[in-house]
Amino acid sequence: MNKLFDSFLITIFWGSGLILLAGLIAIIAYLFIQGGSALSLDFLRLPPAGSPLGKEGGVLPAIKGTLYLIGIALAVTSIPAFLTAIYLSEYAQPSPLLNTMEVLIQSMAGVPSIITGLFVYALCVVQLGWGISLLAGGVALSIMIFPVIVVSMRDSLRAVDRDYRLTGAALGVSPAYMLRRIILPQSWRAIIGSILLAMGYAAGATAPIMVTAAAISAPASGNLFDPVMALPYHLYLLFNEHISLDNAYATALLLVIMLLILNSVALALTGTGNMKKRR
Amino acid sequence: MTAINITDWNTWYGDFQVLNHINTTFNDKTITAVVGPSGCGKTTLLRSLNRTAELTANFRFAGDISVFGRSIYADDPEDVRRHIGLVYQTPVALPLSIRENVLFGPRYYGKHTRGKLAAITEECLTQAALWDEVKDKLNKPAFELSGGQKQRLSIARALAVNPQVLLLDEPCSSLDPLSTGLIEELLVKLSVTLPIIIVTHNLFQARRIAQETVFMLNGQIIEKDLTSTMFENPSHEATRSFFSGAIG
Repeated sequence: MNKLFDSFLITIFWGSGLILLAGLIAIIAYLFIQGGSALSLDFLRLPPAGSPLGKEGGVLPAIKGTLYLIGIALAVTSIPAFLTAIYLSEYAQPSPLLNTMEVLIQSMAGVPSIITGLFVYALCVVQLGWGISLLAGGVALSIMIFPVIVVSMRDSLRAVDRDYRLTGAALGVSPAYMLRRIILPQSWRAIIGSILLAMGYAAGATAPIMVTAAAISAPASGNLFDPVMALPYHLYLLFNEHISLDNAYATALLLVIMLLILNSVALALTGTGNMKKRR
Repeated sequence: MTAINITDWNTWYGDFQVLNHINTTFNDKTITAVVGPSGCGKTTLLRSLNRTAELTANFRFAGDISVFGRSIYADDPEDVRRHIGLVYQTPVALPLSIRENVLFGPRYYGKHTRGKLAAITEECLTQAALWDEVKDKLNKPAFELSGGQKQRLSIARALAVNPQVLLLDEPCSSLDPLSTGLIEELLVKLSVTLPIIIVTHNLFQARRIAQETVFMLNGQIIEKDLTSTMFENPSHEATRSFFSGAIG
């Protein structure tokens, strides 16, 4: 009877996984069918053209703009997030302050991204006078991904075998020495994976950049105070304004391919780290 | 000569009192076994001695412990932990080479020449009866060692920072009889130079290697005496029951 029930549960688990996998494959296949023909080399290396803009040409400025936004978001947030994760994992003692910090970070992760965008709009775009700009968009994305990176890095650090920490403590060595010699060498793959996952999250975000950075057309000069094009916003415009469904599907396919590559590398890195730990 | 003096020692985890009015001494150059049923406070007593118990949340204590006449609360906990080595139940090989496992403490505590580091490595691995088995593969990852070798490596790592006292928390509980025998031989040799306190569930082990034995029950020391006396003619009925297997 128990064996029968186990078989039933295993079938349910496999079935659930297969349904999710089928959904993902269906989305990617649909995008390939609809946008595969438009996703050419020219589409990648040309700026949008035609009237309305985007009906012809490519998405080069949007690719560049997306990469700039991700770069700024990471530059702003990765080091503070790394230091916060180290504090939470290695230094903070159980206390009401630690509990409050953990709750705040989890709550930050739950804030809708449009709210983050509106906050940065009010603070940076209006109050500080940056205007709709690459820098404001990068800051908005950095606030959005900060809790994601912190939680992921903190868990990567905490995943390192507790016995190592006990051994270090029994020898009287400092947490900083343990970090340098043991914890970071054991967790760096997962830490890089955390950053890549956050990059994927930032690359796909539309709402925060709509109100802080994105423009219908911009040359992607790299100037921090210029507006930029970005792939998710460009995709939104192509669909919403019915400019070109072929180009919209091609843009969507490009974005999904970028995210799949980022996530695959991240999972490969974290997976390798976990396998090393299990040995 | 008395190495460790424990005076009216009480500990709590939260509201739960684990150790209750412990008063005892441990002699220098002696192996003392601490035995008792699970949950009686043996490990907490051991971890109190090198202040690693304080790493547990909600740990509180009252009383004093002195080692060679100096209170362990007169120094920083890190200094105390350095001088009172603790080897855990689970053999731990740090994710480093065999050599770097031994040198993990010395590299932290001071700059040594390459020759000095090589000497520390050889001396500690020899003391831990591991040198002959690993001298040709010092740069190999330590996780490749067997459980017994890892436990001897743990002892070598603890010895590398020149402890005044060596504490061991059931060091052979996960080892085969051959590895257990090697560790016991090693402890007997080390006890010529420093006091060793070993928590064990293995009464035969206590009888084989310990000159003195402490029997604990419900957070208290019921009896402490020469091991031979404890086994052959214990003073307390509870001790007699434990050693006869009536309680465990």
